[in-house]
Amino acid sequence: MVEKLIDFLLKSQNTDGGWGTVPGKRSQTEATALAILGLHAVKDNVTAQSLGRGLHWLIEQQQEDGSWPVTTQIRESSWSSTFAIVALTVMGSLGPQLQRGVQWLLAQKGQTASWRETLRYRWAPQTMPSLLNPSLQGWSWVPYSASWVEPTAYALIALKKLRPFLDNGHIRGRIHQGELLLYDRMCDSGGWNYGNKRVLGEILSPYPDTTAVTLVALQDRQTESANQRSFQALVKMLEQTHSGLTLSWAVICSSLYGQKSTSWQTLLTESYKRTGFLDETKPTSLALLALVDERVSAFRV
Amino acid sequence: MNRRKFLATSLTASLTPLLPGCSRSQNPEPPRWEQSAYRKPKHSRVAILEAKNYEIPLADIISRGIELFHLDVKGKVVVLKPNLVEYDPAGVINTHPSVIAATIEVLRNRGASKVIVAEGPGHRRDNEYLLTASGLYDVLKEYTATYVDLDNDDARPIKVNSHFTGFPWLYLPETILQADLIISMPKLKTHHWAGATLSMKNFFGIIPSAIYGWPKNPLHWAGIANSIVDINSVLPIPQFAIVDGIVGMEGNGPIQGQAKHCGTFIFGDDLVAVDATAARLMMLEPTKIEYLAYAGKFLGNVMPSQIEQVGERIESYRKDFSVIPSFEHLKTT
Repeated sequence: MVEKLIDFLLKSQNTDGGWGTVPGKRSQTEATALAILGLHAVKDNVTAQSLGRGLHWLIEQQQEDGSWPVTTQIRESSWSSTFAIVALTVMGSLGPQLQRGVQWLLAQKGQTASWRETLRYRWAPQTMPSLLNPSLQGWSWVPYSASWVEPTAYALIALKKLRPFLDNGHIRGRIHQGELLLYDRMCDSGGWNYGNKRVLGEILSPYPDTTAVTLVALQDRQTESANQRSFQALVKMLEQTHSGLTLSWAVICSSLYGQKSTSWQTLLTESYKRTGFLDETKPTSLALLALVDERVSAFRV
Repeated sequence: MNRRKFLATSLTASLTPLLPGCSRSQNPEPPRWEQSAYRKPKHSRVAILEAKNYEIPLADIISRGIELFHLDVKGKVVVLKPNLVEYDPAGVINTHPSVIAATIEVLRNRGASKVIVAEGPGHRRDNEYLLTASGLYDVLKEYTATYVDLDNDDARPIKVNSHFTGFPWLYLPETILQADLIISMPKLKTHHWAGATLSMKNFFGIIPSAIYGWPKNPLHWAGIANSIVDINSVLPIPQFAIVDGIVGMEGNGPIQGQAKHCGTFIFGDDLVAVDATAARLMMLEPTKIEYLAYAGKFLGNVMPSQIEQVGERIESYRKDFSVIPSFEHLKTT
């Protein structure tokens, strides 16, 4: 299967050096960064040239403000910058591009609510449509909008990976605030969904892929009871969910938490046989990481 | 306009009074739609056809529904936009895969050059899971139909000629822009923010989440009703609707409500009229549903006097859909 995944990535690389979300689509930052991480985990002569072209595309796409757009045609700053930062870090490209990327990332702050909403949360949280602490600040999908779980988790992975090089009070503060937000958004049963644990009084369920990504972002706090409970929630959810994206993140998470994931790897292989991961670059790249990189160095912080 | 200005504009728009401006002579407000956005027909037709359950030959019924509108699909690229927002094995969230299968079959038999199934789920990023768990993957495989993830499709900005959200443009996926016809295929459901979610709200799913986020946060900030209207007004291609009303959802829709059998399909080429009829079927007053009140001014017909009802009589299939307390005022009983 690993050979097939590598072959798919090599063949689906666009002529500009990037990868689209599926073959034939314009190159996209998230897909390209993940393909680079996947091929980097293989590290052989066959992938070297492809990796170089991918990295070149990534560096070329960086914008003046240090961010990356979603795709080549859309020039607005985007959440996918975090993937570019992780890819540059893993590739050892610690130059000015990375510094500008991190500066942009640190400048991004999800919008907090008004003082009225903050008071409401403090004194009458049951009256809020969505039960969440509105004063916590993580990262948003779109600049100048609300904080959500996934972009905050991605940002934490990027910043935590860079801590050995860029540790300072500001970065520590943003990481701490981001962690508080993630724990605040955790579902009652453990685990995370897109970012709401209760809406209009109804308890919402977690998603396995988001749970695994968030646990990866919180890997340095894995002994905390919230992490343990969420890991158990992930195990339970995986009894029902057997997709490439979810299983790949779960295997990566499991490795980082020192847990065995042999059965999930088997399911991952079966999922690929069944659907080919819909020819999507993202699960293909993550599966490569999950199956090849035992240390999961790409996402280890 | 950069992203900051883009979002600031949308936020300002969401805070403006929600009354339509075009017809008001005193205290004039800026018009909320340009002449080019006006497409309300003098009269519309909507068909309700009986479909008792998902096991009967649905293709026959869908074929009849399409025939009633003389929908010409020969040689055309048709995009089916089902509702696949989320999956819950115990729920009835999504357009039933049998309905999608039957529609693919009918369109191919009528000569469509290509039928694409496309969706941009607003909450989940795991397409493989959503497709396999919902049963849609098996349909796509059986019919060798193409599926496009609209959340990550190539996209370009299209100027918005109505001004409810304040967005000067909306990014639309190339798959939608290059189609000849888009068929909205929602589930008949109540909605805890919008009152009802039908063929027009279903187009939230064409807005790419890779640009707007999961969920599509800027659209919510701009107001759901405002966003529904602007999204529908910006769509530059012909539209048709097939509402899966065999089993709908009542209560806390669109995800956590309860199943409600209604035993119908609703068809039409004026999506405003389709949604107004569907709302009446659910015993909700469409003129009180905010997005329909707006859309009824310039996108299509809401009033029964302007909607020719064909097929089954609405009275025979009307069902009392429960709503959450904040939408009790929509009830017609």
